Amino acid sequence: MNFYECNLHTLPDGSDSPSRMALAAKRLGYSGIIICNHTTTGRAFGFDAAKLVGGIEVVFGAEIVATDQRALHTKAASLRDRSDFLAVHGGDEKINRAACEDPNVDLLAHAHEGRAGIGVAAAKAARDNQVAIGLDLGPMIRLRGAARVRWMELVRRDLDLIRKFDLNLMISTGAKSHLDLRSPRDLVALACLFGLERERAVEALALPESILALNRRRWASVGVELL
Amino acid sequence: MRSWLPVLRDRRRYIAFELEVEDRVKRGDLIGEIRAAQTSLFGDLGAAENRLRIISFDGRFGLLRCTHTRTEECRALLATVNSVGGTRSAIRVRGISGSIKAATEKYIPQSILQPDENKRRVDLGPVSGSVARVIGREIDLCPDDRKMTEGSGTRYVGLTSFDLCGEDIDADGTSDGL
Repeated sequence: MNFYECNLHTLPDGSDSPSRMALAAKRLGYSGIIICNHTTTGRAFGFDAAKLVGGIEVVFGAEIVATDQRALHTKAASLRDRSDFLAVHGGDEKINRAACEDPNVDLLAHAHEGRAGIGVAAAKAARDNQVAIGLDLGPMIRLRGAARVRWMELVRRDLDLIRKFDLNLMISTGAKSHLDLRSPRDLVALACLFGLERERAVEALALPESILALNRRRWASVGVELL
Repeated sequence: MRSWLPVLRDRRRYIAFELEVEDRVKRGDLIGEIRAAQTSLFGDLGAAENRLRIISFDGRFGLLRCTHTRTEECRALLATVNSVGGTRSAIRVRGISGSIKAATEKYIPQSILQPDENKRRVDLGPVSGSVARVIGREIDLCPDDRKMTEGSGTRYVGLTSFDLCGEDIDADGTSDGL
């Protein structure tokens, strides 16, 4: 299995250059990383240097930050052709729902950052549009006490929805530094703590690779491929 | 050790780990942090079942002992450690073995790289600062602009020698060369 870390933030979003992230991830056993810097911050630093790191694939995607649904759909449509991987910065209830309703979006990242989670309507839309739900384990690592309890309650509830509607799931740490990264086995162990099956967690870590392969085919329109 | 009936003797696993940290940390701080992470994650009841003990820690590599059925739980709790004594850090599990001897021989390298102490300047347009240390290709940079590491809680900016190279592999961005 080739494991991918699907939601990383590098300079100027985080505090590491892409190549440093790539080296750290390679040592931890990843086959690739997808760097999703926010669309609201400046140009990525060290773009070319990251390509020099051997033994690991470095993909530059984008994470859409939008304040309302319309802005989100516009940005997703314009970025789709330019990037291999498109994530949405979730957390807000409206944005979570809008992201699930947009077939251009690959991943709804940190949907559990706020108090919203996904909910039934968004889960149905995510199934129809094949939007993956990102399980961001950063809060599990960062938070302690009551805040972590609240977060775990939210995630547990949404995992039931993910199972019920058989949604695509991706596991990441949302790392902003190489010290935030965790190895695939650590992430599986963490995910198993709140009731996710082991096979499901392993599948979730390997899913980004197949999504990337799908995105790189030349789609002329929905369901039509240019050969 | 207290003698015990051989059939009742508990089985153990030894976890070899590496601490990745921005600065040097004290052994006591690490023990306190692991204990705190354990009680926070599992509560007193779960923590008692893990039977976690720290066997050794030399500043970078260390050895933990736990019950043989609870290795995955221990892996998860080590993953939740994010700072030791106020310094950002991460614990990387290198391997798990059934005896101290095997864990040490298999997973803990005997020669340890010393961090580079010389201060050198890096100036790359948007990123500038002095080099805090160099380990292999990895460079920790102390940025001139403190705002650069805001939000991630780290003290240094992480770069590699690839970032300093630019167009030519041999040339680099430092004043006296790395």
